[in-house]
Amino acid sequence: MTAPDPLDVLIVEDEVLLAEELAFLVREAGLREVGRAMSSREAVALAAELTPDLALVDVHLRDGPTGVEAARLIVQDVGAVVLFMTANVARLPSDYAGACGVIGKPYSERAVKTALAYLEVCLRDGRAPGPPPLGLTLSPRYRELWDGGLAETG
Amino acid sequence: MNDQPEAGLPGPESGAGPDAGALETALAQKSALLHEIDHRVKNNLQLIASLILLQSRRTADPAARAALKTVLERVAAVATVHRRLFQNDPLSFDVADFIRDLTGDLAASAGRDDLEIALDLDHIAIPAASAAAFALVVNELLGNAVKHAFPPGRRGRVSVRLSNGDGLCRLTIADDGVGLGGQPPGFGLTIVKLLGQQLHADVQVEDAQPGVRATVIVPMTAVPKPDRASP
Ligand SMILES: Nc1ncnc2c1ncn2[C@@H]1O[C@H](COP(=O)(O)OP(=O)(O)OP(=O)(O)O)[C@@H](O)[C@H]1O
Ligand SMILES: [Mg+2]
Repeated sequence: MTAPDPLDVLIVEDEVLLAEELAFLVREAGLREVGRAMSSREAVALAAELTPDLALVDVHLRDGPTGVEAARLIVQDVGAVVLFMTANVARLPSDYAGACGVIGKPYSERAVKTALAYLEVCLRDGRAPGPPPLGLTLSPRYRELWDGGLAETG
Repeated sequence: MNDQPEAGLPGPESGAGPDAGALETALAQKSALLHEIDHRVKNNLQLIASLILLQSRRTADPAARAALKTVLERVAAVATVHRRLFQNDPLSFDVADFIRDLTGDLAASAGRDDLEIALDLDHIAIPAASAAAFALVVNELLGNAVKHAFPPGRRGRVSVRLSNGDGLCRLTIADDGVGLGGQPPGFGLTIVKLLGQQLHADVQVEDAQPGVRATVIVPMTAVPKPDRASP
């Protein structure tokens, strides 16, 4: 094995067309989509089964605003890195339920692609190559965890 | 606020006012409703963008593909407005933040990392009601500079300036590219002209030797005030 394995990505999104678009962007960013879930229960079960490296999680799922709890379980039980993708950025808990960050909807193609490329480096190196790209907000915990390349003081 | 007690409703012991609880509930409901609508609008804009993107990927004809791409860029400009709209004050819109956001998207989608885009932006808040119109104008002018000013292989610089003074919001987008070359306006510049009228703005797009200079001057007084009293 010379080339590193691409990251495995689980997409948790109840709007199928958005999931379809995300899958495109994931593929174009050189990552591998391993599954899609539309409800929190499905998301947690699939995460346990597929052990993805990264889960992209919407807050509003088929069974309500359950994405936050699903994220918490995926982080705790599977150890995957979770990224929220939501129109309700302001309503995330202050600890991000253990997630690494958030991309606000409506997002642009560029925002998702650059965020995925950035997270790929963070996950591989365990540290950030620099400040996060525009459109991606890191959670306080991960900002600290990946602090390496961030010249932030404060 | 009106302090008059509502008839028939006994006040709670706390003395916070007779119907404070009811008011609070009503307020909470209103705010939840507003958030719900905000959420819907954002999701639906995302849905529209996804539909266009997915369709363009199935389109083989390069001209049709290019057309879908410009539609997507216009929708994305409006979507970006909405993403930013509820972040702080829902009634006003920070133009500088928006331009920063849009610049990244445009340069990336044009695939031109050989272009330098220099931003010199004062923070200016305009009423949310004018935000989409202003955003589309910026999108067209900046898009033109990125797309037309520099043929492949020609490096260049686009400067974007935003300043505020004398009750005027001034936007200048200038490039040092090939210039208009007598090309007639297409749909893009027509959008700019029409939305300029809507914003009561003074719009100039002219050859600057080298390149093109576009200036948009919007009177801050002519745009509708973010006033609760207005209908
Ligand atoms: N900054 C610029 N540098 C060079 N040429 C420009 C510039 N801006 C506009 N033009 C010329 O003016 C023409 C009209 O621009 P306009 O934005 O109206 O239409 P367009 O960009 O061709 O198409 P669209 O309707 O998608 O915007 C362009 O095709 C181009 O030839
Ligand atoms: Mg144009």
